[in-house]
Amino acid sequence: MKPAILAAGLLAASVAASPVMADKLDDIIAAGVLRCAVVLDFPPMGSRDADNNPIGFDVDYCNDLAAALGVTAEVVETTFPERIPALMSGSVDVAVASTSDTLERAKTVGFSIPYYAFENAVVANDKAGITSWEGMKGKVVGATAGTYEAIWLEGKVKEWGEGEFRPYQNQADVFLALSQGQLDATVSTVEVAEANVKSGNFPGIAIADKAPMVPDYVALITLREEFGLINYMNLFINQQVRTGRYAELYKKWVGEGVPADLTISGVYR
Amino acid sequence: MFNYNFRWNQALNSLPQMLEGALVTMEIAILSMVIGIVVAILLTACRLSGNRVLYGAATTWVEIARNTPALFQIYMVHFGLGGFGIHLSPYLSLLIGIAFNNAGYLAENFRGALKAIPDTQTRAARSLGMSAPQAFTNVVMPQMLRISFLPMTNQMVWAILMTSLGAVVAMNTDLYGVTSELNARSFRTFELFAIAAVIFYVITKVITLSARLLAARLFRY
Amino acid sequence: MFDTALSANDLIFLAKGAGMTLLVTAIAVFFGTVLGIIFGVIRYQIGPWWAAPLTFFLDIFRSIPLLIQLVLANAFITAVLKIKMSGFTVACGVLSLYTAAYCAEIVRGGIEAVPQTLRRAARSLGMTWGQDMTSVVLPLATRVALPSWIGLALGVMKDSALVYIVQVVELLKSTQILITRLQEPLFLLLICGLFYFVISFPIARFGGYLEKRWSND
Repeated sequence: MKPAILAAGLLAASVAASPVMADKLDDIIAAGVLRCAVVLDFPPMGSRDADNNPIGFDVDYCNDLAAALGVTAEVVETTFPERIPALMSGSVDVAVASTSDTLERAKTVGFSIPYYAFENAVVANDKAGITSWEGMKGKVVGATAGTYEAIWLEGKVKEWGEGEFRPYQNQADVFLALSQGQLDATVSTVEVAEANVKSGNFPGIAIADKAPMVPDYVALITLREEFGLINYMNLFINQQVRTGRYAELYKKWVGEGVPADLTISGVYR
Repeated sequence: MFNYNFRWNQALNSLPQMLEGALVTMEIAILSMVIGIVVAILLTACRLSGNRVLYGAATTWVEIARNTPALFQIYMVHFGLGGFGIHLSPYLSLLIGIAFNNAGYLAENFRGALKAIPDTQTRAARSLGMSAPQAFTNVVMPQMLRISFLPMTNQMVWAILMTSLGAVVAMNTDLYGVTSELNARSFRTFELFAIAAVIFYVITKVITLSARLLAARLFRY
Repeated sequence: MFDTALSANDLIFLAKGAGMTLLVTAIAVFFGTVLGIIFGVIRYQIGPWWAAPLTFFLDIFRSIPLLIQLVLANAFITAVLKIKMSGFTVACGVLSLYTAAYCAEIVRGGIEAVPQTLRRAARSLGMTWGQDMTSVVLPLATRVALPSWIGLALGVMKDSALVYIVQVVELLKSTQILITRLQEPLFLLLICGLFYFVISFPIARFGGYLEKRWSND
C-alpha cells in the first residue's frame, strides 16, 4: 500500500514538475499560426497589391517560415517604429520586417543571422544639383526617423557641421517632402529608391550616387530569450540560401543582379 | 511584479537634452502666443469694422482655426504650402500652425470679452474727441485683454501642449521631438516619455501659477 | 484640378477612416461624460481639501500633451504590464479619461452655478439629496454646462486625429496613406479638412445658439 502511494506521489510530482517552460517555438507549433510583423509601405520587401493584399519579399519569407514550421502564416501590418514594440508586447511572434541588426537594438531584441542586405543610395531632388554623396554637405536632408539610414545620415550631418537633418515620421512623408523640394536629398535603400523613382508618383527626383555605408544587413527578430526559435530561424535562413529559394525570391522581387552575399569573407559566420 | 526591466538610468542620462528641448518648446509657445494675440486683435478689429470683405475674411480664419484639428493645420502649413512651392522649415511650420490656431481661438475669446464691455465706453471715448482706432486701442482693448486674461492663459497652456504635434513635420528639437528621437534609438519608451510628461506638467503648472500671480498683481482693481 | 486619380475604393477607404474618427469620438465622449459627471459631483460634494488627490489626478490629463498620454499608456500597458490590448482600446481609454478630466470641471462649474437658495429650499421641502440633484440641479446645471460640453465634444473629435500614434487608422491617417499612393496632397487634405469642418461647424454654431438663448440677457 505504502510503496504504491509513494510511487503514485512520485509520478504525480514528476508530471507536475515537467517543464512548463515551453518556449515560443513550441507555442507557435502548438497554436498552428505564425504571426509575423511585416512593414507594408516598403516595396519590394512589403507592399500591397491592387486588391490590398500583402505582397513582397518579406511576405514570402514569412510564408516560407510558416510552411517550414507546418503552421499558417498571419501577416500583421506594422510600421517601422512599431516593429519592436509589437514584438515586446506579444502581438507578434517574429518580425520579418527588414530590421537592421544594430548593437543598440540587440540590447532589447534577439536577432537571427542576416537574411538580406541592402545597399543604400542617395536620392536627390533634381534641382538640388547633387551628383555625389558628398554633395549632401550643407544641404537639407532627411530620412525616416529611427531607421539605420537616418542614424547614419544624422551622424554625417553632425560630422560636417553644416546642413540640416529632418526626421520625418514615415517613408511616404520623406519622399513627399523630397519631391516638393523641401528636402534636397535623402538616403534610402536602392530597392526603395528605384521603386519610388520608377513609379512616377514623385516627379523631379533621381538616384544620385551610392551611399558609402557598410551594406545594411537585416535580420529576423524575436524576443531576446527565445533561443530555440532564434536557432531555428538561423537554420531556416541558411536553408533558404542553400536551396536556391533566396536567389529565386530575389529575382522575383528585386530583379536583375546578384543577390547580396550574406557572409563576410574570412569571418566565421 | 512587472516583467519589464526599467532602465531609468539610461533615460535620466538624456535629461540635459530633454531640458534643452523644453527650452525650444517654451520658445515656440511664447512666440506663437505673441503672434497669435497680435493677429487676434487684428482679426477682432476686422470683425468690428463693418467692412463686409474684412469681416468675411476674419470670420473664415476664425471658423477654420476652431473647427479643424491643430494637427491638420500644422500638416497643411508644411505639406500643403509645400505643394505650392513654399518651403517652410519644420520650426516655422510648427510656429505658424500653432499661431494660426491661437489667433482663431483668441479672436473668439476677444469677441466674447468685447460683449461684456458696455458700448457707453466707446461712445464716451469718441465724444472726448478720440478717433475710432484711438478709442479701440486706448479704451476698449485694455479692458478686453483684462477680461480675456484667464482664457489667454488656457490658450498658452494649449500652445505648449500643441508643440508636441511638431513630430509630423520632422521637428526634432522641441521636447517631444527630442524624446521621440531618443526613443527611436533605445526603445525605452515608457521611461523616456514618463520623464517628458513630468517636464511638461512642471512647465504647465509654472505657467498657470505665474499667470495667476500676474493677474492678482495687474488686476487689483 | 478635377482630373483626379481618386477612385470609389479610395473614397470608401476615406469614409472608413471618418467612421473610425466618429466611433472613437463617440465612445470617448460617452464614457468621458459619465465619468466626468461622477467625478464632478464627487469633487463638489466632498470639498476642495478631500478632493485634492482626485483633482491632481484629473489635472494631469489636462497638463500633458495628448500624444504623450497615448504613447505612455500604450507603452505601459503593452510593454510593462504585457497585457495584449489593441491600439483602439488604448486610444478609447485614454481619450475617455481625457474627456472626463475636462468634463468634471464643466460639471463642477455647472453645479456651482445653481443658486444655493434653490437647493436649500428643495431640501427644506423634504427632498433627499438624490431628488434635489435630479429635479433641481440637473436642469439648471445642464443649461449652464451644455454649451461648454458641446465645445468639449467637438474638441475631442479634433483631438481624435492624434490616435494615429497607437496605430488606429482614423481620417487624417487614411488621408496620409492615400496621399502616398495618389500624390495629390492638397486635394486630399482639403477633403479631410472639409469633413472635420462640416461636422464641427454646425454643431458649434448650434452650441452658440443655445448659449445665447439660455443666457439671462
